[in-house]
Amino acid sequence: MWATNLKILGVVLGTLAFYTFLANKIPQVQSEVPRALTLGADVTPEQLVQAGEQVFTGIGGCTTCHGLGTRAPNLLTDEKGQGPIGARCGKREPGKDCKSYLHESLTQPGAFVVPGYEPIMPDMSRTLSPQQIWALVAYLEAQGGTVTVTASDIPAESKLTPGASPGSSGSPGVAGGSTDPMAVLRAAGCVGCHKLGDEGAAVGPDLTHVGARLSAAGIREAILFPDAKITKGFENFAGIMPKTFGDQMTASQLEALVRFLAARK
Amino acid sequence: MANGALLLQAAVDSLPAYRDFPLIGSRAAIWIAAEIHLMFAAFVLGVPMFAVVAEAIGIFGKEQRYDRLAKEFTRLLLIAYSATAIWGAVLTFLLATLYPQFFAYLTAIFGVSMWVYVSIFFFESFTLYLYYYGWDRWKDGRAKIGHWSLGILLNVWGTLVMFIADSWLTYMMTPPRDVTPDTVPGTIKLWHAILNHTWMPINIHRLIGNVVFGGAIVGAYASYRFLAAKSDEERAHYDWMGYVGNFIAISALIVLPFAGYWLGREIYQYDQSMGITMMGGFMSWLWVIQAFLIAVLFLAGNYYLWVGMGRIPGAERFRPYTKWLLAVLVLGAIVWGTPHTMIADSRELAAMGGSHHPFLGALGVMSAKNTAVNLMILATFLSFLLYRRANIRPVVPWAQTGTRIQGAMFAIAAGVVLFYGIRGYFVEAIVRIGYSVYQVGAVLACILFVTIIDVLMGRGAQSLGAIQWGKMPPRSQYALFILAVTFTWLMGLMGFARSGIRQHWHVWQVLQDTTKYAATPALGQAAIMISVCVLIFLSLVGFIFWLGGLAEKSTFVSTTGAGKEAQHVGH
Repeated sequence: MWATNLKILGVVLGTLAFYTFLANKIPQVQSEVPRALTLGADVTPEQLVQAGEQVFTGIGGCTTCHGLGTRAPNLLTDEKGQGPIGARCGKREPGKDCKSYLHESLTQPGAFVVPGYEPIMPDMSRTLSPQQIWALVAYLEAQGGTVTVTASDIPAESKLTPGASPGSSGSPGVAGGSTDPMAVLRAAGCVGCHKLGDEGAAVGPDLTHVGARLSAAGIREAILFPDAKITKGFENFAGIMPKTFGDQMTASQLEALVRFLAARK
Repeated sequence: MANGALLLQAAVDSLPAYRDFPLIGSRAAIWIAAEIHLMFAAFVLGVPMFAVVAEAIGIFGKEQRYDRLAKEFTRLLLIAYSATAIWGAVLTFLLATLYPQFFAYLTAIFGVSMWVYVSIFFFESFTLYLYYYGWDRWKDGRAKIGHWSLGILLNVWGTLVMFIADSWLTYMMTPPRDVTPDTVPGTIKLWHAILNHTWMPINIHRLIGNVVFGGAIVGAYASYRFLAAKSDEERAHYDWMGYVGNFIAISALIVLPFAGYWLGREIYQYDQSMGITMMGGFMSWLWVIQAFLIAVLFLAGNYYLWVGMGRIPGAERFRPYTKWLLAVLVLGAIVWGTPHTMIADSRELAAMGGSHHPFLGALGVMSAKNTAVNLMILATFLSFLLYRRANIRPVVPWAQTGTRIQGAMFAIAAGVVLFYGIRGYFVEAIVRIGYSVYQVGAVLACILFVTIIDVLMGRGAQSLGAIQWGKMPPRSQYALFILAVTFTWLMGLMGFARSGIRQHWHVWQVLQDTTKYAATPALGQAAIMISVCVLIFLSLVGFIFWLGGLAEKSTFVSTTGAGKEAQHVGH
């Protein structure tokens, strides 16, 4: 029976080893987490195009459909005698220049579908940040055309994790839209009344260890609705804190600030 | 309610986001716990289904050996249930401690369903105990029907438990579109979260997959007992049991791809980019490995049948056909295994102008693959039919006509499959996708009507001799082991595909994974993890089988009984 057991073990281990070997011998591709993309005010067209190429061949997943010529239009090569995408994008949709058309194709793909193709293009603003999308537009413009995307097109939003609310970049917010929590605290005037470490005044509650007594939700509520709950000992100051921070900050700034304060245990 | 939501939100926010697990890391720990729990769960959900069917055949067909077979299956379940619960607890504790915020997020939405889940699991466990321990007590008349009803109830509980757990994982894949990163989890309606895009397709896919898996594991159990058997009678019993396990596994496997198509379509409809990631993105090569594994399953399953025909008098008539069936299977596997796109780096992509070669285009396209797999299914069904017919000669007056009609049905089905396979090359993708329905429909119709004709034709058929159960060469039993290992590995691979398409999201586009393990690993690393999980699972299953052998003697019946049935039914 031992011989049979060993044979069974051999069959099981051999089969597992073979499948593992096989799976390790084929091309290995890991799905990376998209990296934050920081494009400053002095970004050059070359930098934009380079960043856009990385998105196009990487996280954007564009090459899966664009290039075969049957599932979606070719972008880097000629498409039915009209040249690559940069050469034809300005003539695709009446009344839209190349930049607007490409941006619309990425963020509202259903708005205009090239005749002969199915509306299968996903809304890329769900997976890419505004900066990545603009970089992609620049890269596509560069395919046979002229790059017209500039730093002024790109919102100041610097946090580029996918899933960040796309609309949050529409409002400039305080501190020029920066999501550096200290910059927001200073620009919004928080340290005028709250102490934070060695900085600030002691009119309102000390924020140095605010995370130890308030949850993130509590901090969020205290910023947006300052009179909802008054910290013990500060009852006489109720009503002093402005209720306008929700309008002044962008959603990303608010969340960055909440996370920063919640971490101060 | 709003206060409750705020409290839950506060609880979620105040938790640390992640903790790490020593040595292997938190992702590997969760992966192993989830995978092994799932494998045991598939086994304990799949086996009761055919235990009940086997018991029904025993009751209504007056075949005692099926009743004993059902009891032996159920005996294996008892210890497997404990293992399922243990691994479920391991998974829950690991999730709660390693991914506390994510776990709190899920509980904020699904808390109530988790309580229901536990309650049903409680009922399920006690129904199983009643079912097994009441077997000999309620063995006659109405009591037996009552006992059989317990088996049905056991399946109902099991299915409900699975459906509830499926809602959690499908929510992670395809959360309702109105749920955004800013949605407070406590405000999401439970039923709204459960009824997400992939919930029902996964339910159905798993239901069928569990039957396949259960059949394969029972087949492996039977083959082990066959190889260890000390008498011809015992060998005959386990030979028959192995055949039943293999029959169930392969029969359900034939239907499984159709449930897979439905699931794939729902994924595409929910989010094109998710579907593209799955089929054409970084996971595209996974399907080449899957094709290889399924080819192994088809070949091993057919090989077992062909070797098994050696113990059936009269089967030599059909032996010349096996080489043609083998040719169809091998050719089909080669076509199915051809990758759609070659992996290229960014320089090569730029040079080609996309992911495909400008002249060659895509390589293995769905038209060819669907055609190949449907022809493989038809070939496997023909193998079963020949096996079934091996030791009988139909005596009904219309036998010759019936056989011709059956042959015509095979020809028509193969013709339809080939026609739409070729035509698919000349139409738009959206039209081509619809052709798979016609191909599948033709194959299913062929299977259904040919089987009906065969059953009617087999009435009163002349026997060419009883099946010589137990007279199987040992190599056939190793084919059953390969089937079990391959099914288990395939299950791990498909689990990776389903979970991996979320990429760096806990909940797709709602809750991001920000751990250092967020990147979805390449197939090589995933394969190592899958093999480790399969090895742990099979080791534990081996231990359970050994325990099962200690608890009670095997339930084989005399060869006289087995041979008697075989004269009429052929298997």
